[in-house]
Amino acid sequence: MFRGPAVPANQIHDFHPPIAPSGLYWVVPVPDQGLTITPDGNTFTLEMRNVAVVDQPRWPALDSTATPARMSFKMVWKSTGEPVKYEDATKHFRFTGTRATCQMEAEVAVPSIGFSWKSDSLTTSKSDFAIMGEEVNGRYYDT
Amino acid sequence: MISTTNSCAICSRRQILKAGALALVPLAIPSPIYALGDQPPMTANGGTDPYPIPWIDKNGSHNQPAGPNLEPSHIYHFKGRVARCSTFTGIGADNQGNRIAFGSPTTDYGVMQGEYWAARAAQQGTFTHI
Repeated sequence: MFRGPAVPANQIHDFHPPIAPSGLYWVVPVPDQGLTITPDGNTFTLEMRNVAVVDQPRWPALDSTATPARMSFKMVWKSTGEPVKYEDATKHFRFTGTRATCQMEAEVAVPSIGFSWKSDSLTTSKSDFAIMGEEVNGRYYDT
Repeated sequence: MISTTNSCAICSRRQILKAGALALVPLAIPSPIYALGDQPPMTANGGTDPYPIPWIDKNGSHNQPAGPNLEPSHIYHFKGRVARCSTFTGIGADNQGNRIAFGSPTTDYGVMQGEYWAARAAQQGTFTHI
Protein backbone atom coordinates (compact mmCIF):
# COMPACT_ATOMS: atom_id res chain seq x y z
CA MET A 1 0.00 0.00 0.00
CA PHE A 2 1.19 3.44 -0.89
CA ARG A 3 0.41 6.92 0.24
CA GLY A 4 0.90 8.69 -3.04
CA PRO A 5 2.62 7.26 -6.12
CA ALA A 6 3.63 3.58 -5.93
CA VAL A 7 7.32 4.07 -5.23
CA PRO A 8 9.29 2.51 -2.34
CA ALA A 9 9.52 5.78 -0.40
CA ASN A 10 5.72 5.96 -0.25
CA GLN A 11 5.11 2.38 0.92
CA ILE A 12 3.19 2.29 4.20
CA HIS A 13 2.13 -1.38 4.41
CA ASP A 14 3.15 -4.65 2.77
CA PHE A 15 1.09 -7.77 3.49
CA HIS A 16 2.20 -11.32 2.78
CA PRO A 17 2.59 -14.69 4.53
CA PRO A 18 5.93 -15.42 6.15
CA ILE A 19 8.53 -17.24 4.08
CA ALA A 20 8.48 -20.94 5.09
CA PRO A 21 11.55 -22.54 6.71
CA SER A 22 11.98 -24.49 3.46
CA GLY A 23 12.27 -21.24 1.54
CA LEU A 24 8.83 -21.64 -0.02
CA TYR A 25 8.01 -18.04 -0.72
CA TRP A 26 4.79 -16.45 0.53
CA VAL A 27 2.83 -19.60 -0.22
CA VAL A 28 -0.05 -20.88 1.92
CA PRO A 29 -2.48 -23.79 1.52
CA VAL A 30 -5.89 -23.01 0.08
CA PRO A 31 -8.76 -24.63 1.99
CA ASP A 32 -11.28 -26.88 0.25
CA GLN A 33 -13.71 -24.79 -1.79
CA GLY A 34 -11.24 -21.88 -1.76
CA LEU A 35 -10.59 -22.25 -5.47
CA THR A 36 -13.49 -22.72 -7.85
CA ILE A 37 -13.07 -23.34 -11.56
CA THR A 38 -15.83 -23.11 -14.12
CA PRO A 39 -16.57 -26.30 -16.09
CA ASP A 40 -14.98 -24.81 -19.23
CA GLY A 41 -11.83 -23.98 -17.26
CA ASN A 42 -11.94 -20.36 -18.36
CA THR A 43 -12.53 -18.72 -14.98
CA PHE A 44 -10.66 -19.31 -11.72
CA THR A 45 -12.05 -17.72 -8.55
CA LEU A 46 -9.84 -17.77 -5.47
CA GLU A 47 -11.46 -16.66 -2.24
CA MET A 48 -9.98 -16.88 1.26
CA ARG A 49 -10.91 -15.40 4.61
CA ASN A 50 -8.69 -14.33 7.52
CA VAL A 51 -5.41 -15.61 6.14
CA ALA A 52 -2.60 -15.18 8.67
CA VAL A 53 -0.11 -12.77 7.15
CA VAL A 54 2.41 -10.22 8.36
CA ASP A 55 2.64 -6.51 7.67
CA GLN A 56 6.19 -5.47 6.79
CA PRO A 57 5.96 -1.78 5.87
CA ARG A 58 9.69 -1.53 5.11
CA TRP A 59 9.81 -4.66 2.98
CA PRO A 60 12.22 -5.71 1.44
CA ALA A 61 14.59 -4.40 4.11
CA LEU A 62 16.00 -7.40 5.93
CA ASP A 63 15.25 -5.87 9.35
CA SER A 64 11.72 -4.85 8.40
CA THR A 65 9.49 -5.49 11.41
CA ALA A 66 6.75 -8.08 10.80
CA THR A 67 3.48 -7.40 12.58
CA PRO A 68 0.81 -10.13 12.63
CA ALA A 69 -2.13 -9.28 10.39
CA ARG A 70 -5.10 -10.88 8.63
CA MET A 71 -6.09 -10.75 5.00
CA SER A 72 -9.28 -11.72 3.20
CA PHE A 73 -9.58 -11.53 -0.55
CA LYS A 74 -11.34 -12.58 -3.70
CA MET A 75 -9.43 -12.87 -6.96
CA VAL A 76 -10.87 -13.73 -10.36
CA TRP A 77 -8.90 -14.82 -13.41
CA LYS A 78 -10.72 -14.92 -16.77
CA SER A 79 -9.14 -16.35 -19.89
CA THR A 80 -8.88 -14.12 -22.94
CA GLY A 81 -8.48 -17.18 -25.16
CA GLU A 82 -5.11 -16.06 -26.49
CA PRO A 83 -2.77 -19.08 -26.31
CA VAL A 84 0.48 -18.88 -24.37
CA LYS A 85 3.28 -21.41 -24.01
CA TYR A 86 6.36 -20.89 -21.87
CA GLU A 87 9.02 -23.57 -21.71
CA ASP A 88 12.58 -23.68 -20.45
CA ALA A 89 14.25 -27.08 -20.64
CA THR A 90 17.18 -25.88 -18.57
CA LYS A 91 14.81 -25.05 -15.73
CA HIS A 92 12.59 -28.07 -16.35
CA PHE A 93 9.27 -26.29 -16.68
CA ARG A 94 6.54 -26.06 -19.30
CA PHE A 95 3.43 -23.89 -19.07
CA THR A 96 0.57 -24.18 -21.55
CA GLY A 97 -2.42 -21.91 -21.23
CA THR A 98 -3.85 -18.56 -22.17
CA ARG A 99 -3.52 -14.94 -21.32
CA ALA A 100 -6.09 -13.72 -18.83
CA THR A 101 -7.47 -10.78 -16.97
CA CYS A 102 -7.31 -10.71 -13.20
CA GLN A 103 -9.12 -8.55 -10.69
CA MET A 104 -9.27 -8.62 -6.92
CA GLU A 105 -10.89 -7.16 -3.86
CA ALA A 106 -9.35 -7.45 -0.43
CA GLU A 107 -9.51 -6.52 3.23
CA VAL A 108 -6.63 -6.39 5.66
CA ALA A 109 -6.38 -5.76 9.38
CA VAL A 110 -3.48 -5.20 11.75
CA PRO A 111 -5.22 -5.47 15.15
CA SER A 112 -2.20 -4.47 17.25
CA ILE A 113 -2.06 -1.01 15.69
CA GLY A 114 -5.80 -0.62 15.10
CA PHE A 115 -5.42 -0.46 11.33
CA SER A 116 -7.78 -1.91 8.78
CA TRP A 117 -8.34 -1.30 5.10
CA LYS A 118 -10.84 -2.43 2.53
CA SER A 119 -10.50 -2.14 -1.21
CA ASP A 120 -13.15 -0.86 -3.53
CA SER A 121 -15.10 -3.52 -5.42
CA LEU A 122 -13.34 -6.12 -7.53
CA THR A 123 -14.27 -4.49 -10.81
CA THR A 124 -12.32 -1.34 -9.97
CA SER A 125 -8.96 -3.17 -9.87
CA LYS A 126 -6.81 -4.44 -12.70
CA SER A 127 -3.57 -6.26 -13.37
CA ASP A 128 -1.33 -5.60 -16.35
CA PHE A 129 -0.25 -9.23 -16.68
CA ALA A 130 -2.19 -12.46 -16.10
CA ILE A 131 -2.07 -16.01 -17.39
CA MET A 132 -3.85 -19.25 -16.54
CA GLY A 133 -3.39 -22.83 -17.63
CA GLU A 134 -1.39 -25.92 -16.75
CA GLU A 135 2.23 -26.44 -15.81
CA VAL A 136 4.65 -29.29 -15.28
CA ASN A 137 8.07 -28.87 -13.70
CA GLY A 138 10.80 -30.77 -11.89
CA ARG A 139 10.40 -34.53 -11.92
CA TYR A 140 7.18 -34.24 -13.95
CA TYR A 141 8.81 -32.31 -16.78
CA ASP A 142 10.12 -35.32 -18.69
CA THR A 143 7.14 -37.59 -18.11
CA MET B 1 55.34 -53.99 44.38
CA ILE B 2 52.45 -52.03 45.75
CA SER B 3 48.99 -53.18 44.70
CA THR B 4 46.49 -50.42 43.89
CA THR B 5 43.52 -52.76 43.86
CA ASN B 6 41.06 -52.21 46.66
CA SER B 7 39.85 -55.70 47.32
CA CYS B 8 37.68 -54.60 50.22
CA ALA B 9 38.58 -57.60 52.12
CA ILE B 10 37.12 -56.20 55.26
CA CYS B 11 33.98 -54.32 54.00
CA SER B 12 31.25 -53.83 56.51
CA ARG B 13 27.72 -55.18 55.99
CA ARG B 14 26.46 -51.57 55.61
CA GLN B 15 28.95 -50.93 52.78
CA ILE B 16 27.88 -54.09 50.99
CA LEU B 17 24.17 -53.15 51.21
CA LYS B 18 24.88 -49.61 49.91
CA ALA B 19 26.86 -50.98 46.97
CA GLY B 20 24.06 -53.43 46.17
CA ALA B 21 21.44 -50.69 46.18
CA LEU B 22 23.50 -48.50 43.81
CA ALA B 23 23.92 -51.44 41.46
CA LEU B 24 20.12 -51.61 41.03
CA VAL B 25 19.76 -47.93 39.99
CA PRO B 26 20.33 -48.52 36.23
CA LEU B 27 17.56 -51.10 36.25
CA ALA B 28 15.13 -48.73 37.98
CA ILE B 29 15.60 -45.79 35.54
CA PRO B 30 14.23 -46.51 32.03
CA SER B 31 16.97 -46.23 29.46
CA PRO B 32 16.23 -44.19 26.31
CA ILE B 33 17.88 -46.93 24.32
CA TYR B 34 15.38 -49.49 25.56
CA ALA B 35 12.51 -46.96 25.13
CA LEU B 36 13.31 -46.57 21.42
CA GLY B 37 12.84 -50.26 21.01
CA ASP B 38 9.27 -49.91 22.25
CA GLN B 39 8.26 -47.39 19.57
CA PRO B 40 6.52 -48.58 16.42
CA PRO B 41 8.61 -48.45 13.24
CA MET B 42 8.44 -45.08 11.48
CA THR B 43 9.37 -43.66 8.08
CA ALA B 44 11.88 -40.87 7.58
CA ASN B 45 10.91 -39.50 4.20
CA GLY B 46 10.72 -35.79 4.95
CA GLY B 47 7.71 -33.55 5.28
CA THR B 48 4.73 -33.35 2.94
CA ASP B 49 5.04 -29.59 2.42
CA PRO B 50 5.89 -28.53 -1.14
CA TYR B 51 9.44 -27.68 -2.14
CA PRO B 52 10.34 -24.22 -3.46
CA ILE B 53 11.82 -23.75 -6.93
CA PRO B 54 15.53 -24.53 -6.39
CA TRP B 55 17.02 -21.56 -8.21
CA ILE B 56 16.87 -18.17 -6.62
CA ASP B 57 15.90 -14.72 -7.79
CA LYS B 58 18.13 -11.65 -7.90
CA ASN B 59 17.38 -10.99 -4.23
CA GLY B 60 18.54 -14.45 -3.19
CA SER B 61 15.03 -15.74 -2.55
CA HIS B 62 13.07 -18.62 -4.06
CA ASN B 63 10.58 -16.15 -5.51
CA GLN B 64 9.50 -16.46 -9.11
CA PRO B 65 8.33 -13.13 -10.55
CA ALA B 66 5.22 -13.15 -12.73
CA GLY B 67 5.77 -12.25 -16.36
CA PRO B 68 6.22 -13.47 -19.92
CA ASN B 69 8.42 -16.58 -20.24
CA LEU B 70 8.76 -16.86 -16.46
CA GLU B 71 7.70 -19.95 -14.58
CA PRO B 72 4.24 -19.49 -13.04
CA SER B 73 4.51 -22.03 -10.21
CA HIS B 74 6.26 -21.40 -6.90
CA ILE B 75 6.28 -25.15 -6.18
CA TYR B 76 8.86 -27.51 -7.62
CA HIS B 77 8.07 -31.08 -8.75
CA PHE B 78 4.56 -29.93 -9.62
CA LYS B 79 1.98 -30.65 -12.28
CA GLY B 80 -1.44 -29.09 -12.40
CA ARG B 81 -3.41 -25.91 -12.89
CA VAL B 82 -1.77 -22.56 -12.34
CA ALA B 83 -2.74 -18.92 -12.64
CA ARG B 84 -0.55 -15.87 -12.17
CA CYS B 85 -0.93 -12.12 -12.27
CA SER B 86 1.12 -9.06 -11.48
CA THR B 87 1.28 -5.31 -11.63
CA PHE B 88 -1.95 -4.78 -9.75
CA THR B 89 -3.52 -1.41 -9.30
CA GLY B 90 -6.51 -0.54 -7.19
CA ILE B 91 -7.65 1.64 -4.34
CA GLY B 92 -9.49 1.39 -1.07
CA ALA B 93 -10.02 3.13 2.24
CA ASP B 94 -8.69 2.58 5.74
CA ASN B 95 -10.71 2.68 8.95
CA GLN B 96 -10.06 6.44 9.20
CA GLY B 97 -11.57 7.05 5.79
CA ASN B 98 -8.24 7.74 4.10
CA ARG B 99 -8.08 6.70 0.47
CA ILE B 100 -5.04 4.43 0.04
CA ALA B 101 -3.91 2.85 -3.23
CA PHE B 102 -2.61 -0.69 -3.45
CA GLY B 103 -0.47 -2.47 -5.99
CA SER B 104 2.81 -1.94 -7.79
CA PRO B 105 4.76 -3.65 -10.57
CA THR B 106 5.87 -6.27 -8.06
CA THR B 107 2.41 -6.91 -6.59
CA ASP B 108 1.80 -10.43 -7.83
CA TYR B 109 -0.39 -13.38 -6.92
CA GLY B 110 -0.69 -16.96 -8.01
CA VAL B 111 -2.57 -20.17 -7.42
CA MET B 112 -1.45 -23.77 -7.95
CA GLN B 113 -3.70 -26.82 -7.80
CA GLY B 114 -2.61 -30.35 -8.54
CA GLU B 115 0.02 -32.93 -7.77
CA TYR B 116 3.39 -32.25 -6.21
CA TRP B 117 6.17 -34.48 -4.99
CA ALA B 118 7.18 -34.44 -1.34
CA ALA B 119 7.98 -37.04 1.33
CA ARG B 120 9.03 -39.29 -1.58
CA ALA B 121 5.44 -39.60 -2.78
CA ALA B 122 2.85 -37.80 -4.87
CA GLN B 123 0.75 -35.35 -2.86
CA GLN B 124 -2.36 -33.39 -3.81
CA GLY B 125 -3.04 -29.81 -2.84
CA THR B 126 -4.04 -26.28 -3.65
CA PHE B 127 -1.75 -23.39 -2.72
CA THR B 128 -1.62 -19.67 -3.30
CA HIS B 129 1.23 -17.20 -3.49
CA ILE B 130 0.02 -13.91 -2.03
